[in-house]
Amino acid sequence: MSNEPESGVGSLQRSGFVVRKERLYGRLIAACAVLTILVTVGIILALSGRAFSFWSQISPIAFFTGTSWSPVIAESYGVLPLVSGTLIVTIFSALIALPVGLAAAIYLSEYASDKARSILKPALEILAGVPTVIYGYMALVYVTPLIDSFLPFSVELIPSGVPVLPEFTFVMPSLGTFNALSASIVVGIMIIPMVSSISEDALSAVPDSLRQGGYGLGSTKFDVSTRIVVPSATSGIVASYVLAISRAIGETMAVTMAMGMSPQMPYFPNVLRNLAESSQTITAAMVQIAGADSYGGGPTYEALFALGLTLFAITLTMNILAELVRRRFREEY
Amino acid sequence: MATEETTSDQLGQSAELRLQKLKGQVFEVALVAATLVGIVSLLVLFAQISNDAFQPGTASSTWFLVYFGTLVAPTAAFTLYARRRPAVRTANALAFAAVFGGLLLSFVTYAVVDALSPYDVFIYAFFASLPPALVLAYDRTTDKQTYTGPLLPVSILVGIGVAALVDGPISGLVGIAAEWIMYFGLVTVPAALLVAWRTASRRGRRTGAVAGGVVAAGALAVAVASISLGTNASLLVVLYSAFAVPTGYVIWRSVKTNPEGRIGVAGPFIILGGVLLGASIVEQFAIENPDSYLTPTLLLESWDGLTASNAGVYPQIVGSIIIVGFMAVLAFPVGIGAAIYLEEYAPDAGLRGRLATLLEVNISNLAGVPSVVYGLLGLALFRRTLGFGTGIVVSAAGTLGLLILPIVIVSTQEALRSVPDDLRQGSYGMGASRWQTLREVVLPEAIPGTLTGTILALARAIGETAPLVIIAVATTKYSPPSGLFSSATALPLQIFAASANAKPEFRHGVVPAAAVVLLILMLLMNATAIVIRNKYGRTN
Amino acid sequence: MSESDTSPKIQTTIETSDEESKSAPPNVRDTVIETRDLDVYYGDEQALDGVSMEINEHDVTALIGPSGCGKSTFLRCINRMNDMIEVCRVEGDVEFGGKNVYDDDVDPVALRRKIGIVFQKPNPFPKSIRENVAYGLKIQGFEGDVDERVEESLKRAALWDEVKDQLGSSGLDLSGGQQQRLCIARAIAPDPEVILMDEPTSALDPVAASKIEDLIDDLAEEYTVIIVTHNMQQAARISDRTAVFLTGGRLVEYDDTTKIFEDPEEQRVEDYITGKFG
Repeated sequence: MSNEPESGVGSLQRSGFVVRKERLYGRLIAACAVLTILVTVGIILALSGRAFSFWSQISPIAFFTGTSWSPVIAESYGVLPLVSGTLIVTIFSALIALPVGLAAAIYLSEYASDKARSILKPALEILAGVPTVIYGYMALVYVTPLIDSFLPFSVELIPSGVPVLPEFTFVMPSLGTFNALSASIVVGIMIIPMVSSISEDALSAVPDSLRQGGYGLGSTKFDVSTRIVVPSATSGIVASYVLAISRAIGETMAVTMAMGMSPQMPYFPNVLRNLAESSQTITAAMVQIAGADSYGGGPTYEALFALGLTLFAITLTMNILAELVRRRFREEY
Repeated sequence: MATEETTSDQLGQSAELRLQKLKGQVFEVALVAATLVGIVSLLVLFAQISNDAFQPGTASSTWFLVYFGTLVAPTAAFTLYARRRPAVRTANALAFAAVFGGLLLSFVTYAVVDALSPYDVFIYAFFASLPPALVLAYDRTTDKQTYTGPLLPVSILVGIGVAALVDGPISGLVGIAAEWIMYFGLVTVPAALLVAWRTASRRGRRTGAVAGGVVAAGALAVAVASISLGTNASLLVVLYSAFAVPTGYVIWRSVKTNPEGRIGVAGPFIILGGVLLGASIVEQFAIENPDSYLTPTLLLESWDGLTASNAGVYPQIVGSIIIVGFMAVLAFPVGIGAAIYLEEYAPDAGLRGRLATLLEVNISNLAGVPSVVYGLLGLALFRRTLGFGTGIVVSAAGTLGLLILPIVIVSTQEALRSVPDDLRQGSYGMGASRWQTLREVVLPEAIPGTLTGTILALARAIGETAPLVIIAVATTKYSPPSGLFSSATALPLQIFAASANAKPEFRHGVVPAAAVVLLILMLLMNATAIVIRNKYGRTN
Repeated sequence: MSESDTSPKIQTTIETSDEESKSAPPNVRDTVIETRDLDVYYGDEQALDGVSMEINEHDVTALIGPSGCGKSTFLRCINRMNDMIEVCRVEGDVEFGGKNVYDDDVDPVALRRKIGIVFQKPNPFPKSIRENVAYGLKIQGFEGDVDERVEESLKRAALWDEVKDQLGSSGLDLSGGQQQRLCIARAIAPDPEVILMDEPTSALDPVAASKIEDLIDDLAEEYTVIIVTHNMQQAARISDRTAVFLTGGRLVEYDDTTKIFEDPEEQRVEDYITGKFG
């Protein structure tokens, strides 16, 4: 160990060797932290190089506005069908996860007993811990047949013969083997914990004095929770929504396995057909290109990076947005 | 008059209040339902996948009765007995960890070393441990001040470099020795040293040396016995060193220090014994087993795309373990170091402070980047820039390491944050430097939280598929990776590839079974992390 | 950080080295710690204003005054614990054994090895009792008999009899008062020159507190003790000299304890002591 120079009020220094050694340790540790910036730099460089090379061959306008994605067969690189696929899954999974996640957060934060919370919180975390490839498999093999057994499903909402209003029948067609509905359901289940965990933190952070104030005025628990606590935690809740949606956009395996590889533009007006049929997300298209082993270079391979850069830009924007929302309103407390 | 109004007032209020109360109750029920809907859906899906994997419907009821009698009933009885006796529970927990941890460790070690070639592993381990041993010996004998700390990792790398050079020429010579001798060196020697050290700290050097010698001699005996019986000496030596010795040691210590909880050590054996007894009865009386796909074949064979009952995922399991193991070596030091910097070294204000904030923002952004993008980074980094082949272990480990780096950093930061500041103040007040405070006070306290975080990161990595697909890791291989630069294979990839196979014995048979293996692995890791957190963690 | 302030400042302190105290023996004691025109700022807020005082060896010096008047800040200047607060700015001189502790060639870590500190809330490490007491020895590379020092320190801290059979058990298993005595033992084990105590008994029950007060008198035989306390009766009981800090971080009066409590020079001090304000 270090040898100290002699004691006595006189010397107030440590041995130079020790000081130098500890400074070295400090520098090594700092280097670890700086490495993390290199990761981001690496991602940006890795993506941009090939992506811009791609866009020098295929016009970005054709890329971002084209309605046909068929890299290998037709050499068309229009990204809109993929965007449509991603949107369908994102919207529908959000429809599941956002209300359910918020409700779970309210329950855990305001209503649940300590014992219930200690069981339910880890249980919800498990939802996020299941590998996405297993979610994809379960969607393909169990969810699709299960839902399909109730389909096709149609109900006449507005029967014929009613004056003025046109006839309208709600029709949910039967599902294809690959369909967006099963994929959306499992993605929705997968992202519930993101919403519930972050929203619960936000709800718990609301000072108890606000609740007490509400009760003191004679409000019920329902009123306090919905009219006082939830609005106060809006920033955290919105942040959780944005993060969950970002996660859904980036989800890969579940959508690849359950939705298939048939990119198409969305159907109107029968919106539900989109759920029942196969389409392709941006991420699934990336997997398809990588899996096709076309490493010779060329536009197909480089399209992979163009898609990656697009995806990265979208999710980065959303994550920064979520962080800004959180910071802006954190000043309240 | 007043009373009339008051009564009708009260009635009015009462009706309104009751309505509100009802609304509140309905609301609460809705909340509970929402909370449970995800969990219940997942459980239903798990039930279906387990059903396909285990096929419990195909077993006769006698089969269930046998195992109920040999396994379920005794275990339940033991659990009820242990419920009110904390001493028994402690002993049981220790024995459990030793037995099942030891078994797991033994099999994993054997499988990994076997895949990578025991001779190669031995050579590398030998040369990698020589320089550090020399450095430590020098440090202990000399009075001069040394840079031991940073030198140790450098010396290990030097050793590895030497091994790489020497491996070719020497392996012929080393190959003469029997295989079990390699395992002896790799597993028994460390086990013996560990036992010797623990015993020496309690009973003195001589007793420690004797204890270590006994362990080593036991291994030799096991080897000799198994050779003469014609069984796999290597595996038995490993089982002895990594399972029997630790279990024996833990049980012996437990009995000595916790006499009233003695009976707790029987816990794991009740379970193991129950399974074995049940299996032998079923065998003896030819009772119908379930037509399960979760068989030893699944765990020990390689894939067969045609015949489901012959298909196995052994190469993929070993591959996943090797990838994730190497990933840990790469990512954890960097992640933990970065977290230490951000929490303990970085100032709050000034230029450095703002840089630290930038680093933290960057890390939280990296946590939100989709895993496919990490795959692209891995592709560009490992294949193009560094020129490695497609889909090799190093690339897979590196790519996954980058993916989980933010997780490791954030959870270690939280662990460090949970160490109360007055401990630091106490240490600084004593004239300890920042490094000394870290080493002696802060880091030891932060270990449980860091461990939890790293285990969860491992669990996440083992289930990741997308990055591996992007860097072109092979989806089906018939043997485990033979080295760090050989092509890799992983369990989730096999599941992905096999999902295209629509034959019922695959789709509702082997593939769910493989998925269940992955799930069990995940659940075990998550459970371990939670146990560590609950038992040793600090509440913030 | 260490520039002496050469602009004239209004002296509001009284140095008593010129005055003879009636009860103290005529031996002139060495000055261990001396501050001159010490100013401390937390950001824009001034916590200490022109504090000059000399602290004698083997004295028990009490620092008293209302909350927020800079007593703890003063204490933490002596062993440079204030360095850890980023917004803290120190001007003036603080000398320890004649050497300005804020000089560039002084390593604060080495400084703190000569000065022990005990905090208000007992903060033993989550280690064994032996490891707690030996901590200072360990980090300084002590090469003598550790167990002997541990025993000696625990005896001096009046804790040995209570824990001698359980040195291996955790320091956190002790009661609050015992923990604080453990922290004292820990502080004295490396044989410092000075012991700083920041309200060491305010978190303890009266019985535990009085045990520690008994201790302080013994400690002064070996070490110099500087103690911040809220409790005026405590200061009157145990200290040789007392310094009174009032609003604005000013040292208003510093003299023998008996003089401060029986016949202070400043009216404000008298008002504070008799409870008119503060």
